[in-house]
Amino acid sequence: MNPDPLLSLNGVTIGYPGHPVLDNIRLTLHRGDCAALLGANGSGKTSLLKTIAGILPTLHGSLVTHPPNGPRPVVGYVPQREAFDDVYLLTGYDVALMGTFGRVGAGRFVTSTEREFVHECLRSTGAGELARRPFSRLSGGQKQRVLIARALAARPDLLLLDEPTSGIDSTTCAAIMALLKRIHAERQLTILLVTHDLGLVRRHLETVIWLADGAIRQGLVTELLTQERLNELLHLS
Amino acid sequence: MQTFIEILSPGFLLRNAVWTSLLIGLACPLVGVFFVLRRLIFMGVAMPQISSTGVAVALTLHVWFGHYHGPHDPTERLLAFAGSVTFSLLAVLWLAFLERRGRGLVEGRLGTAYVVSAAVSILLLAKCPQAERGWMNLFKGEIITISSADLGLTLATFTVVLFLLWLFNKEFLLVSFDREMAITLRKNVAGWDLLLYLLMGLAISIAVLSVGPLISFGFLLIPPLIARLFANTMRQFALLASAIGGVGALLGFVLAYHWDLPAGPTDVALLGVFYAIAFFAAKWRRSRHQPEISSEQSSPAA
Repeated sequence: MNPDPLLSLNGVTIGYPGHPVLDNIRLTLHRGDCAALLGANGSGKTSLLKTIAGILPTLHGSLVTHPPNGPRPVVGYVPQREAFDDVYLLTGYDVALMGTFGRVGAGRFVTSTEREFVHECLRSTGAGELARRPFSRLSGGQKQRVLIARALAARPDLLLLDEPTSGIDSTTCAAIMALLKRIHAERQLTILLVTHDLGLVRRHLETVIWLADGAIRQGLVTELLTQERLNELLHLS
Repeated sequence: MQTFIEILSPGFLLRNAVWTSLLIGLACPLVGVFFVLRRLIFMGVAMPQISSTGVAVALTLHVWFGHYHGPHDPTERLLAFAGSVTFSLLAVLWLAFLERRGRGLVEGRLGTAYVVSAAVSILLLAKCPQAERGWMNLFKGEIITISSADLGLTLATFTVVLFLLWLFNKEFLLVSFDREMAITLRKNVAGWDLLLYLLMGLAISIAVLSVGPLISFGFLLIPPLIARLFANTMRQFALLASAIGGVGALLGFVLAYHWDLPAGPTDVALLGVFYAIAFFAAKWRRSRHQPEISSEQSSPAA
């Protein structure tokens, strides 16, 4: 684990007005972390991810970025693929291009340099050939590659992925995890991904954040995913 | 063909109606594209009706003050415009609030707003026969009495609305397609939503004032729905919708003039015919390409 913190939550309550999901939580993400966010259904994984992304405001307390007076880290967000409406006639490139909109002012056009960068992001995620294909007709794995390219096009400091491998076959799943590992190694990005797949976490990741009983446990895969700890976390002992 | 040449000649008596009809036909579908994208079809139906209630309120203001047979002079046109804009914008803000809150049956509320506003309009106008005639003409889509000033106002309003929709297209597209991504990119999502709704409201209010609610919602919704069946990109979607609207408006006017029919209902009925033909054509096209698409989708997943 890198000692240099990127952001932390100290005594933060998250959830929805009148319906807190996690109360008084403490969590620190370090620069260069590549962590999995695990937990049972309804444990608050997506709520926590959305709070870190800035989509969901905290109910109490605040999210502190480091250094506190420095610029806020840029977030590359990869939502669940099912979130998109097929009525939009967008190509893979159109979707990936949206990643640059954070840097391009309102009413301004995306420059050719940015456009080339988007193509580069698509190529780097193995989605170069999907640029002209309709996004709505892509397979689950193909959509995921385009969405990761879009997140990279934002030039993020922090990459957040909401269940990037759910509903995808094991070969594609492994390919996406290999892609994320490569991106992590090449760009030294901080990556946090929500998943249910313990095997996948064991094979590809080093750090785990586990949500259980409204509390957060953070540690290395080798420490937290041992049989004893799993029995304890899942109340199987 | 002779009728077509006649209505396009500069000396044609109803030229303002022709140009307004064509302008509405070309411009309304470009606004309507956002109704379709955001799945606000019901809103596209309810909004023009609510806007026309604003016109009814404005036209009967004198009745409210006890003057049942008050004069109807040209300045009331301005009052009608103010009524239309006010009601459209208030309705758009209310509907935006409902959509944002995301609770309850939004379609049910829109349907209620539609019927209640129609009923209120009729009740308001019942006490003023002169205003009732004017409003009924508007409601039926009688567009022959459009003045040059109305045409100018319609052109100016649509120029502003379409320019802003074009200028901020990427922002409107982003907040519509992926609101959460827009937030992570630190876009003012509520602000962009509001601007989009205000532009929609402004376009509807001027369209309703010029050609009435029937033609307005016909051109807002039907051309984009037809274009969606054939377009492959967002640009094609918008341009095709506008072209269909323009052709429908012009052809509708020619047919109405030739057969001495009211132009508005003719336009909308013609768009309905276009939609029916397009629907079956698209179905036939899909059935021909189905095997191709299936094989494409079954290619390696990632």
